[in-house]
Amino acid sequence: MLLLALKSLRRDLRAADVRALLVAMIIAVAATTMIGFFLDRLTQGLERQAGQLLGGDVVLVKGAAFSDTQQQRLRAAGFDISQQTQLISMASHDGAFQLASLKVVDRAYPLYGQLMIDAGQGARATQGPPSDGRVWIDRRLGRALSVTQGDTFQLGRSRVEVAGWIQREPDQRGGLESLNPHIMLSPSTLMASQLIQPGSRSTWRLMGRGSADAVARVRPWLEQLKDQGVRVMDVQTDSPRLGRTLDRVQKYLSLAGLAAVLLAGVAVAMATRRYVDRHLMTVAMMRCFGSSRADFSRLFVYQLSWLALAASLIGAGLGWLGQYGLASILSSMLTLALPAPGLAPLGLGILTAVAILAGFAGPTLLRLENVSALKVLRRELDPLPASAWVVLLMASAVFGALLWLYSGDAPLAGWVVIAGWGVMGVLWVISLGCLAGLSRVSSLLGGPWRMGIRQLGHRRRSSQSQLIAFTLTLAAVGFIALVRSDLLSDWQQRLPEQAPNQFAINIQPAERDAFVAALDNISSRRSDVYPLVRGRISAINGQLPREAVPEDARDDGNLRRELNLTWRRTLPEANRITRGAWFASDPVDAGGPVPISVAERLATRLGLSPGDTMTFEIADQHVTARITSIRKVDWESFQPNFFVIFPPGVLEGFSHSFITAFYVPPKDAPAIGSLVSEFPAVSFLDITAILDQVDRILDQVSRAIAFILLFVALAGVAVLYAALVASLPERAHEGALLRVFGAQQAYLRQAHISEFVMLGGLSGVMAAMVVEAGLAALYAGWLDLPVAWHPLLWGVLPAAGMLFVGGLGVAMARPLRTQAPVRSLGLLDEI
Amino acid sequence: MLCARQLTKKVRSGAHELTVLDALELRITAGERLAILGRSGSGKSTLLSLLAGLDTPTSGTLSLFGDAMSDSDEDGRARLRAGRVGFVFQNFQLLPTLTALENVTLPLELTHARSKSATAREWLERVGLGARLDHLPRQLSGGEQQRVAIARAFVTSPELVFADEPTGNLDHRTGHDITELLFTLNREKGTTLVLVTHDVALARQCERQLELVDGQLHPLVEEE
Repeated sequence: MLLLALKSLRRDLRAADVRALLVAMIIAVAATTMIGFFLDRLTQGLERQAGQLLGGDVVLVKGAAFSDTQQQRLRAAGFDISQQTQLISMASHDGAFQLASLKVVDRAYPLYGQLMIDAGQGARATQGPPSDGRVWIDRRLGRALSVTQGDTFQLGRSRVEVAGWIQREPDQRGGLESLNPHIMLSPSTLMASQLIQPGSRSTWRLMGRGSADAVARVRPWLEQLKDQGVRVMDVQTDSPRLGRTLDRVQKYLSLAGLAAVLLAGVAVAMATRRYVDRHLMTVAMMRCFGSSRADFSRLFVYQLSWLALAASLIGAGLGWLGQYGLASILSSMLTLALPAPGLAPLGLGILTAVAILAGFAGPTLLRLENVSALKVLRRELDPLPASAWVVLLMASAVFGALLWLYSGDAPLAGWVVIAGWGVMGVLWVISLGCLAGLSRVSSLLGGPWRMGIRQLGHRRRSSQSQLIAFTLTLAAVGFIALVRSDLLSDWQQRLPEQAPNQFAINIQPAERDAFVAALDNISSRRSDVYPLVRGRISAINGQLPREAVPEDARDDGNLRRELNLTWRRTLPEANRITRGAWFASDPVDAGGPVPISVAERLATRLGLSPGDTMTFEIADQHVTARITSIRKVDWESFQPNFFVIFPPGVLEGFSHSFITAFYVPPKDAPAIGSLVSEFPAVSFLDITAILDQVDRILDQVSRAIAFILLFVALAGVAVLYAALVASLPERAHEGALLRVFGAQQAYLRQAHISEFVMLGGLSGVMAAMVVEAGLAALYAGWLDLPVAWHPLLWGVLPAAGMLFVGGLGVAMARPLRTQAPVRSLGLLDEI
Repeated sequence: MLCARQLTKKVRSGAHELTVLDALELRITAGERLAILGRSGSGKSTLLSLLAGLDTPTSGTLSLFGDAMSDSDEDGRARLRAGRVGFVFQNFQLLPTLTALENVTLPLELTHARSKSATAREWLERVGLGARLDHLPRQLSGGEQQRVAIARAFVTSPELVFADEPTGNLDHRTGHDITELLFTLNREKGTTLVLVTHDVALARQCERQLELVDGQLHPLVEEE
């Protein structure tokens, strides 16, 4: 039976529907495996690049050196490791003193990215620390100490020689240690300086470079370390911007992959209809000759299993090659090195092929089981077509299961399936209305235009399924394209052209005005200047903070460390009130408790709501305030942001400084030098490198998405092909009859153009509706993006529909116009 | 009206080439009623397809209404047929998604005729289906479907009607009714009729009967 099925499949491959079935499944498998393989590599690659900002895939931080056992533990789990020590110390030269941030690195540094050092011959990528007794410093320190390359300066107990300038550190971090000029040195140089003494404040970082599997292997151990006071950072948790970016990229790519699968499924469903129609007579004959239902069911199951196997092998092969092709196409653009893909996506691809066949073709195939032997005598005795709702039910169940598998999010899969049903129901009604309307509109037209459009209305059943299939196709492509551009523009909006790339901290009240005036001379864009007071939370609602917060927040760092507090009359730019109200005009004069506004992230973490009171310990004094508003803060705005904002008139009496963020074009960066010498107490933090890296990652993501969009579009073409193949016999019959009655090729072409262009245009309009509704739901519910209206969509999708459905349809129907009518009419069945 | 000279049609069947029509000669004059008989597989339908320009011969020449069809392309042949040639097929060839009225209107859509719908309605009434205008083919019996096909064949007032086994799919009584209808309309309109059939009784209603044997036409020899 297996061999018989293979034989009959070989014969069947001549039929357009079997070819369409095969092509659709190949595309589904190729798209899934390619996206799977590539995603696997891209995610690993992106995580590594994101790891550059951290310095490793896993970074452990504590106040003492890591033991050999701890280092060995990471090595054993498959990590390459590097250890750093960081401390702040005074550097001096010729009576000039400057606080500097020391970074002591080992030979393995950097694990990721490039350390660029200029040792007199331009910036070069360098590995490991400078030789003993020598240091690399940044130019800011050179200016502050008036030293240049080859000079020596005092560091602790020893003199060190400036061996080169630090141009770029791959793991440059924000935080206090970044505020001071940098010195990079070897562990031996540090030893010689005798700066590390019992009780001295220094930080050790143990960084590990390893696969996601390796990270997973040490996860339980990392949890234990956290309990021992070690700070553990990884790409997903430590860097909110990149963590969220990666998260979105993964969600987006799996969404794109699923769109390709959905489209291929639609193509399979459409091609199956024709396949079944074509085999009805064969089955009737088999029944006549005494075949049992089980016999021929087995034959078709085997035949389609062979087809699925062939599609899986070819598709997986193409997917495998495709991802290599993709990686090589992008290799010049993708600066990140992609690791080899795993084999897991291969299994996923094959599973997808089988699932698509079962879900999208299964119910239609069941129709073959109901063929009556009597059909041999009465040809018109066809079994009822599978109910569209049964097909939909089965297909959506399979699609939901795949969605669950891909996203790992069962509620999401459930909601998408329910929403999908809603969408299909609405599309069903709208398409029915459109087709009824078309019959009326056609009477206003003349000649072939009328003929083409009227035919759409007449073939209501097949037109309706084509309309819905094309709508889904265009919607999927439009959806993916728009999500891509919205995601990117959202990211780019968060990083405006002149996003602040420098922070100035520690501006003293007396020099505030002079500093701002000087700053405005060199920078065209700066944020507001915020006062900054440091205070610790000492009570919440009159209780000890640990007792007042939810159990899982008792160890929250925000309860232990000093928070940056500020005061302000107006709501800062990147903030939005989500609960409560911003301060009234003069809240303090009005009497009553001091009102404060708390950031949503802190409020959620500590379980705070408007009306709760918080007491802050500021320089041994206690200030109690009542929360009157909760703010959503855009933490990725690269602007000074605060957990707690007071109204003016409360904190002014405490010791405070000011902070601001500003943009200086890279070419004008030397001008900061004059600010440094004019305001030596002010600390500057340069975040250009961080911004550059984020930019690069966004650029790569954008290109990868564009490529995957191509595959979704390819799956869309498969739908068009399958839908047209399914409707070809009907069209062939009509075309041939018209030819018999004397219709010219041009007449038929115009009729086909009007029919397909109308079909494409209508699908485009319906697709625009689906996309708008879907985007609104997706943005609000899943991607956390603002909901927006897309007027352009309503022009582009119908136009694309007219162009692609029209173009492909007219091209595919060409043989119907040129072929001798006698063939299409089947007059030669009997010579 | 229609002239075929040295008309040959060969078809490939696997490795073999089969000569279906072999240097066939035929001349049909205006207003004539010609029956072409032959056994199953003798090539009757192939001949009809060639005469109507629905297919192209392997060699030989064909002219219709004085125009050389063998020199025309598919479009040229269609142009020759438009409004001047009608067809009645054995399996009716109605479009399943169109109503009876729409099926009959179809050939008129390709002409510049006025009041197409009214003309089609008239013809359906002529064939006794005035009450079934909005019925789809599947809602009509075989005989009724063939009546629709006959109305469609005559609706453009063609000069020539080809009928390919018009009663082949019908029972005896219905076949008889259909034959009568076909010949009545043919007589009324003075149309040239080319009828392909294997039914000698039906063929006898035509003035001339030719039999297709071994790819060539011979006058019918009636067996006693």
